Amino acid sequence: MDIQFQGESLFPGQLGQFFIILSFGTALLSCISYFFASKHKDDRSWQKIARIAFFSNVVAVIGIGCCLFYIIYNHLFEYHYAWAHSSRTLPVYYIISSFWEGQEGSFWLWMFWQAVLAVVVVARSKSWESPVMTIIMLCQAVLASMLLGIEVFGERVGSSPFILLRDEMNAPIFSNPNYLSMIADGQGLNPLLQNYWMVIHPPTLFLGFASMIVPFAYGIAGLWQRQYKDWLKPALPWSLFAVMVLGAGIIMGSFWAYEALNFGGFWAWDPVENASIIPWFTLIAAVHVIVAYKNSGHSYFTATFLVLISFVLVIYASFLTRSGVLGETSVHSFTDLGMYWQLVAFNLLFLVIMIYFLISRWKELPITKKDEETYSREFWLFIGALILVVACVQIIATTSIPVFNAMFGTKIAPPVDAIAHYNKWQAAFAILVLILSAIGQFLKYKKTTPKVFYANLLVSVIVAVVVTAILVYVTKVFTNFIYILLSFSAVFALVANARVLGDAFKGKWKLAGSSVAHIGFALLLIGALVAAATNKVVSLNSSGSIPIAGFEEAEKPGENLFLYIDEPMEMDDYTITYVGDSTSGPNTYYKVNYEKRDGKTGAVQERFQLTPNAQQNPKMGLIGTPSTRHYLTKDIYTIITSAPKLDDPDEHDHNHEGHDPNEGYEEPSTQLVNIGDTLRYKNGFIVVKSIDRNAALQNMPLAGDDLLFALQLEVHAANGEIYEADPKYLIKNGNSFDFARDIEEQGLRLRFTKIVPNEGMELMVYQKPLPEKKWVVMKAIEFPYINFFWCGTIIMTIGFLLAILRRNKELKGKIV
Amino acid sequence: MKKGSILGIIIIAVAIAMIVSIYTDSSTYASFNDAQKTESEIHVVGELNKAKELHYKPIENANYFAFYMIDNDGTECRVVFNGSKPQDFERSEQIVLTGKMVGEEFHASKILMKCPSKYNQDEVEVTESVASNV
Repeated sequence: MDIQFQGESLFPGQLGQFFIILSFGTALLSCISYFFASKHKDDRSWQKIARIAFFSNVVAVIGIGCCLFYIIYNHLFEYHYAWAHSSRTLPVYYIISSFWEGQEGSFWLWMFWQAVLAVVVVARSKSWESPVMTIIMLCQAVLASMLLGIEVFGERVGSSPFILLRDEMNAPIFSNPNYLSMIADGQGLNPLLQNYWMVIHPPTLFLGFASMIVPFAYGIAGLWQRQYKDWLKPALPWSLFAVMVLGAGIIMGSFWAYEALNFGGFWAWDPVENASIIPWFTLIAAVHVIVAYKNSGHSYFTATFLVLISFVLVIYASFLTRSGVLGETSVHSFTDLGMYWQLVAFNLLFLVIMIYFLISRWKELPITKKDEETYSREFWLFIGALILVVACVQIIATTSIPVFNAMFGTKIAPPVDAIAHYNKWQAAFAILVLILSAIGQFLKYKKTTPKVFYANLLVSVIVAVVVTAILVYVTKVFTNFIYILLSFSAVFALVANARVLGDAFKGKWKLAGSSVAHIGFALLLIGALVAAATNKVVSLNSSGSIPIAGFEEAEKPGENLFLYIDEPMEMDDYTITYVGDSTSGPNTYYKVNYEKRDGKTGAVQERFQLTPNAQQNPKMGLIGTPSTRHYLTKDIYTIITSAPKLDDPDEHDHNHEGHDPNEGYEEPSTQLVNIGDTLRYKNGFIVVKSIDRNAALQNMPLAGDDLLFALQLEVHAANGEIYEADPKYLIKNGNSFDFARDIEEQGLRLRFTKIVPNEGMELMVYQKPLPEKKWVVMKAIEFPYINFFWCGTIIMTIGFLLAILRRNKELKGKIV
Repeated sequence: MKKGSILGIIIIAVAIAMIVSIYTDSSTYASFNDAQKTESEIHVVGELNKAKELHYKPIENANYFAFYMIDNDGTECRVVFNGSKPQDFERSEQIVLTGKMVGEEFHASKILMKCPSKYNQDEVEVTESVASNV
């Protein structure tokens, strides 16, 4: 029986689903038409159909995005995607990030960028349009198939973002026609992702991934059309663009890891990070070999191979992160959406295309048989590219351990200390690459005179040695030989490339791009090295903990520091105090004051407040977001690792009327006191000062034989505050009454209840239970010289930009 | 000899060194019983025993977290972690520990946990108040 569900708006989903099918169909049609257009060059009609199909595809892709945005923005929780990734409390800018939190949204993002790039290709590629677009539209069709969500022969192909919640889940409430009104809110965005980096990092990264299809498509087109040499020229600026954007995207990810995630660092060799850096390495290598080929005619095959394999590795990266294969090794990969084999097929398809063209055209490739000169730039560019590839193989091999396990049924676990394992290898490769990027600048293409080469080299080496010595001394990385070697090679690269940059200012501006990019890269590595090698946890816990027998001695001291509110704690050079918190939306900001005093005089040298926040997420527990104090030479990074559960405000709002007036107080202590006595209470002491026999009561005139006594008390609280109180005792018409005095600040109620002749006065002390003291557990890390890392990134990106401009002008024939 | 061949030999040598390195650095997924027999750090996969109490009292020690885990062979062991309680630990479905046995306790140096995914997940949250007036 069909149920008539109420309140659902099915139109946006149906429209979106229509656009998905349209985008798949048009991509396929466009691909096929471009294929025939490449074969029948004289027949323009194929190209016409292909273009119409392509532009309809662009419209369809944008249509999918609009429908999905409409659904998320309007909180249409009848759709699974909106329910799973957003909630009503989410601010608008995070609605954008929830858009690509899920796999479907991130596939859409990839499709969208690919469509945008394809528009540029269609507008600019001239005679290359048909063969290049054949490949791009093939990829576009494959991506669209990932969103289809249609059953074909009993297998679901793709996963649609427009699937309804009631179709996705089996729950009894879906038999209720009015189920929608019972769904209060969506699952919301993972609090770790509620960060501005999540708004800009995925689009940049996916633009980088998407732009790698263009050099790949040019490569395949070149082989297919037998225009072996011509394709490299237009492919070079595209490759540079892809490398620039992907590099920026990867480092934004590391900014994010540093600023928002609680990884305690910027790079952890997590499989997901590795997956994105692998194609970046190979394409960087490709760019260098293409330049070498253009100038010397050597290394044609290597250039082609590297361009092609880079995109295959992009697909491999998306297989690693999206298939769920990394489940046991990575913290932040997607889970399997049932597209495992579809992703494998995507990988194989492009791998087969690449292998097919390389093998079938092998004999025709313009491969030189001549050996390169040792004193030539092309030879060392080639060696440098090779080292990058070997470095890449090392990352792939270790990252792919779960893949080998899945393939061969083995159960190998990844290295216990993954960071040390990778660093050991990658440091060596980095040293070689840096030295080559320096040496390469002293070599000319084809042939260099050894004498001139060594003379130039010597000066730079001497300068580099001096600078390295200073750098190593200042940054304190002299503890390890490899660190020193790595610092030297980075400085050497810096010096050598700075020389070239100096020449660029004298007019040889053509070379500026590469030297700026190399300087940026060297700075980036220096920053990464120093920050990674000398960062230290400053919140080492030497006090305030009860050592557990047999544990603390064996392990390093704890890295988390326990802080009570308003109780200062010494930490490294600082005195830190947790002074309070404030809550805004779902986040609680914990205020931690840092104070640095001069060792001798005790004068305050600096004072600042950090406000790391933590979200007490009902579904995920406490999620901390660090707060960082930035200095020119270092960063102090602070994160909350534990905090008491926030009180539920509802629990305190009960109104109890007509209850015992002493409710809320603990059992009173009753004592006989005399003048001058001192009594303790939880938070201080009470002094009995005197008794006043002539006290007066407001609003109550005393009759002739009434007796009124007031006990003068002084309450000394632990924090130094002094309060006065005068509880009174009245005997009226033979009955006794008493008038209590409350001291709200101390949670005290004092009653003077009896006079026992010759013994003293009876004083009842009521106390409220002490409120639980607020506390937090935090961790603080100092990262020295991390600004080199960020600065290097920016410089490197500028270098790529300069190189793109130059190669683009070359393409237009303005310079040769 | 051609430079190409020399390069080839060097690359093969580096590749062999890398494979050896991966082999020596990699470890195996083991059980608590296996961990008893070795001194070195290993990975143990298992599930949190949700019936037993998680011990994390930051007021006493912010760097001491202990819990009971049942490995894939069904052996239960007390696990001690020198750090704060990982976020959302109670909801974990599967835990991968890195560490070694010290006496009867497993001292973990790293905890990786898998939480219920957002996709095949629990139930839809329902507000009761609205349900009653249908």
